[in-house]
Amino acid sequence: MIKVFTPDEKTAEEYVDKTYERIERVEGKVRAFITLRKKEEVLKEVKEAINRKQGRLKGVLIAVKDNISTKGVRTTCASRMLEDYVPPFDATVIQKLRQEGAVILGKTNMDEFAMGSTTETSYFGPTHNPWDLERTPGGSSGGSGAALASGVVDIALGSDTGGSIRAPAAFNAVFGLKPSYGTVSRYGLVAYANSLEQIGPMAKNAEDLELLYSVISGEDWRDATTISQSPPKTEADLSKTRFALLKNILDASQPEVQSVFKKAINKLSSEGATIEEVELKYSDYALPTYYIIAMSEASSNLARFDGVRYGYSKYYEGTWKETFAKNRGDGFGIEVKRRILLGSFILSAGYYDQYYLRALKVRRLIKDEIDLILSKYDVILSPTMPVLPPKIGEVIDDPVRMYAMDLNTVLANLAGIPALSQPAGFYNNLPVGLQMMGKYLSDYYLISLSKSIERVLGYHDLTANL
Amino acid sequence: MEIDDKLLKKLQALALVEIKGQEKEKIKRDLQNILEFFNKINQLDLTNVEPLFHPLSSGKLRKDEPIEPLNREEALQNVKRKEDGYIVGPRTYGD
Repeated sequence: MIKVFTPDEKTAEEYVDKTYERIERVEGKVRAFITLRKKEEVLKEVKEAINRKQGRLKGVLIAVKDNISTKGVRTTCASRMLEDYVPPFDATVIQKLRQEGAVILGKTNMDEFAMGSTTETSYFGPTHNPWDLERTPGGSSGGSGAALASGVVDIALGSDTGGSIRAPAAFNAVFGLKPSYGTVSRYGLVAYANSLEQIGPMAKNAEDLELLYSVISGEDWRDATTISQSPPKTEADLSKTRFALLKNILDASQPEVQSVFKKAINKLSSEGATIEEVELKYSDYALPTYYIIAMSEASSNLARFDGVRYGYSKYYEGTWKETFAKNRGDGFGIEVKRRILLGSFILSAGYYDQYYLRALKVRRLIKDEIDLILSKYDVILSPTMPVLPPKIGEVIDDPVRMYAMDLNTVLANLAGIPALSQPAGFYNNLPVGLQMMGKYLSDYYLISLSKSIERVLGYHDLTANL
Repeated sequence: MEIDDKLLKKLQALALVEIKGQEKEKIKRDLQNILEFFNKINQLDLTNVEPLFHPLSSGKLRKDEPIEPLNREEALQNVKRKEDGYIVGPRTYGD
């Protein structure tokens, strides 16, 4: 509920000093960043931004996920493939942030090419959860979540293909929005699965989340999938809201998660909200459907990394096929290789119909079912993650177990609808998130509801003790 | 469907990714497990269901107007091997 701190001429130096002191104190333990910018450069930009006439984020420091292109600042996607890649252009969202006076503090750690749910597949090593350093911060935007929870920044950008903003929001006790598909430009986002992903805001309260979303959203001629319509700024009334609670998804959650979540929704009921249980008939099919589509799109998108125009290029002898295969074999980590190999398999002759086309049909069934629920209710409610933050090393060697963590979050990406995660409470000091999915373009409605919920639950502006 | 050496070799060729000796067994096992997890969707009857490729029903085109591109130096700033403003690529012939 505290609006993001905006420095002025008097406070600029102190603001930047304090940020770097905090980094000095926590970053060695948390490792939220892949690249931190030099203090002098950042201070200079903050001072310049303060002197601008206009801007809603004048001099405000922001952490940006390392798959969003930043001109002149290395953008690695947490991959050896792009270890020294420096984009010659800014993503549209970065241009928009600069126009409002925001200053990039650094680029945050993530799962390699956003493929993972724990930030452990990063070539640069894992990020640690500020609430418990032995645990993961979720992923793939784990660095952005951890940078918020460790008290380094107030706002951050993530990207969400199947839960990559919401998982770290839940595990770090912060706020994250996966926007309605097409409301935020993907120009300059290194593509993983185009039909599923969106860049989105992360913050420590709903107010800041709203501000950041309003800055980064909007139609962009450079991304043909952005829409001209803006989401309406609808106000929500919690006492009149009708929530559909996904019963089978809740039942599949860890008991610890269920107990924290149930306490939170009881408080919402006390405020007069209507909460009714519904069954999602196709929930068992959501994960395979999502992963088949994501891997297919990934295998096509990642074909661009040939090491010739940019990227890892240790090998150059031999034919182009041999050279590409060797550089890609070295440059990509194991999770990326698993996904592009399987994506190639799914799209190959003889299997396309059996896997890819069938998954797209199930996607239709799931979207229709969600639309039907949302025609009767305002919001679909569930825990954001079915589990507490896993320990580092706990799930990473078992891909199917790691994928299972995404059950609650992939639904919104398959359907293209907005979904917001905010803190629901804690179990033994471990954060649990509450997820709301809304109708297409109900982004501001969800944020408005989130403001009421943060007041009722009292969980906002949280920083871990480090 | 079994992920054996022959299929893995084919997939490496399709994806243009070399899998080194020590990774092979783990990758084969992982791909097998993931594929079994995918087979779940084969239980559903999907006759008369239209595939949903994309959440937006229609795309759009921008106006065909020239824009200022990156200059050559910027465009080539990440190229490791270049000569006289050109990219040096690997051989395109031979075996």
